[in-house]
Amino acid sequence: MNYSPPSAPNEKAARTNLMLVGIAVGFLVFAALFTKNLWGRVEPRKEIPLVDKKFLETTPWRKTYADFVKAKDKDALEDYDCYGCHEKNKAPPIRYDKAGKILIPKEHSDIVMGHGSHDRNNLCFNCHNEQNLTTLQVRDGREVKFDNIPPLCGSCHGPTYRDWEAGAHGRISGSWNHANEADFTRLSCANCHNPHAPKIPTREPAPGPHLLRANPETHATEATH
Amino acid sequence: MAPNSPSLDKTSDAAMSRRNFLRGSAAVGGLTALAASLSPLRELHDFTNTDQFLQKYYKELTPDDMAKVLKRIESEVEKNYGVRPHVRDLKPMDGVEFVYCLNLTRCIGCRKCVHACVNENNQSRSPEIQYIRVLKLPHGSMDVEKADQNYAPASVPEKGFFYMPVQCQQCKNPPCVKVCPVHATWQEKDGITVIDYDWCIGCRYCEAACPYFARRFNFTKPEIPKDRLNTNMAYLGNRPRKQGVMEKCHFCIQRTRAGRYPACLEVCPVGARKFGNILDPNSEVSYILREKRVFIQLKEEMGTSPRFFYYFDK
Repeated sequence: MNYSPPSAPNEKAARTNLMLVGIAVGFLVFAALFTKNLWGRVEPRKEIPLVDKKFLETTPWRKTYADFVKAKDKDALEDYDCYGCHEKNKAPPIRYDKAGKILIPKEHSDIVMGHGSHDRNNLCFNCHNEQNLTTLQVRDGREVKFDNIPPLCGSCHGPTYRDWEAGAHGRISGSWNHANEADFTRLSCANCHNPHAPKIPTREPAPGPHLLRANPETHATEATH
Repeated sequence: MAPNSPSLDKTSDAAMSRRNFLRGSAAVGGLTALAASLSPLRELHDFTNTDQFLQKYYKELTPDDMAKVLKRIESEVEKNYGVRPHVRDLKPMDGVEFVYCLNLTRCIGCRKCVHACVNENNQSRSPEIQYIRVLKLPHGSMDVEKADQNYAPASVPEKGFFYMPVQCQQCKNPPCVKVCPVHATWQEKDGITVIDYDWCIGCRYCEAACPYFARRFNFTKPEIPKDRLNTNMAYLGNRPRKQGVMEKCHFCIQRTRAGRYPACLEVCPVGARKFGNILDPNSEVSYILREKRVFIQLKEEMGTSPRFFYYFDK
């Protein structure tokens, strides 16, 4: 009714073509956005530094006399040459201050006395043999060599010694199959404990987990998951 | 009305009919949508060859097939990392069932086990994938809701807290195995629940089923520095994974099935970790379960019956 035939068909066709080109270009722009990942691009991941190799170290933090002998470490073994300084057949004197605390001679200043609470265990000859300083002694008089101290420690720490012998205390390395003695090694007491101060010192922990795109400020208080 | 129709057609011919316009737009739109939906394929780096694509299920592989598969993996690793690895398919041993015991009295929370594990098992360094989470808990509580895994003090252990490392518990009744729709994960007869990384479809059902959050997903292509790659590999163990598959602790299959202790145990500075054959009455784990105060299997009430036991000294 109010329809009138197109006055300029060419003009209308041009408009249509323009629109089509517009749509096509629009699509192409979207396609480019998709392929270049410009749309909703995720924040790049933060670099996570590789963990320090010291945390991957499997050797124990202490070395024992047996280790020094095995490694033929002459410098370290010199410390065990007691009669280089001490006089033979003469028990070295032990001095105490007025409060009954042991006075460590300056030649042995590297020794920190901390075995047992309240400074009660303050007599060197509880473990060292005053008759022969190159050996140790159990209170019942048995002589113990420096390269095999567990029986000495076990003379007081019975249950721990029992656990150690069974493999529940300390660390065994190598094979879980203990059929063949050559396949595994058992750490000795002094590999982990300083005999003069056996409590294992605190240490720096290895870095914790880095959450994916975690905010460092909220990281520390982040929940478990 | 009647005379209008033919003239309408005429004008359409001159420019473009509504129908043709809609057809054209729909075609372009469809192509765009197709391109967008295929765009994740651009991130597919690991699709190497048809051998891998046509590889059979692990349990159906003959020894000859397996030899070929191991060769393929070795050459792939050599191509990607520049070192020829030693990949083996280690089978469970007879008369061996592995059990892990962890001494909560001894653990100081130093996290050395976490990183020894990452190093041994070729986990991705960025983004980080770690099998072990060390939870810090206040003394007198076993409530894992109160646990903190992001502790970062200058030194550990901290007063008033204890530390509980959690990893795959190698359950006797594993929920992760039950939910896998393609049987890509299963329990072997030595007690280790393994994953065939070539069979996993990455649906992450197992991750959701695990009550211990022991399973990890490779959201991206794993990043392992070449100089830190462990070349002693096992098919079901620490061979490099690809994007889109699950992984988890497997008791260091490449070590333990060759008779050695797991890496986390070997690095523990306080001897809190104990591992062995529960079927051997003289093993340390047998001794611990017999003599020590074995306190928990984590989330015992779930009925998963873990082969991972936590115990106390005193």
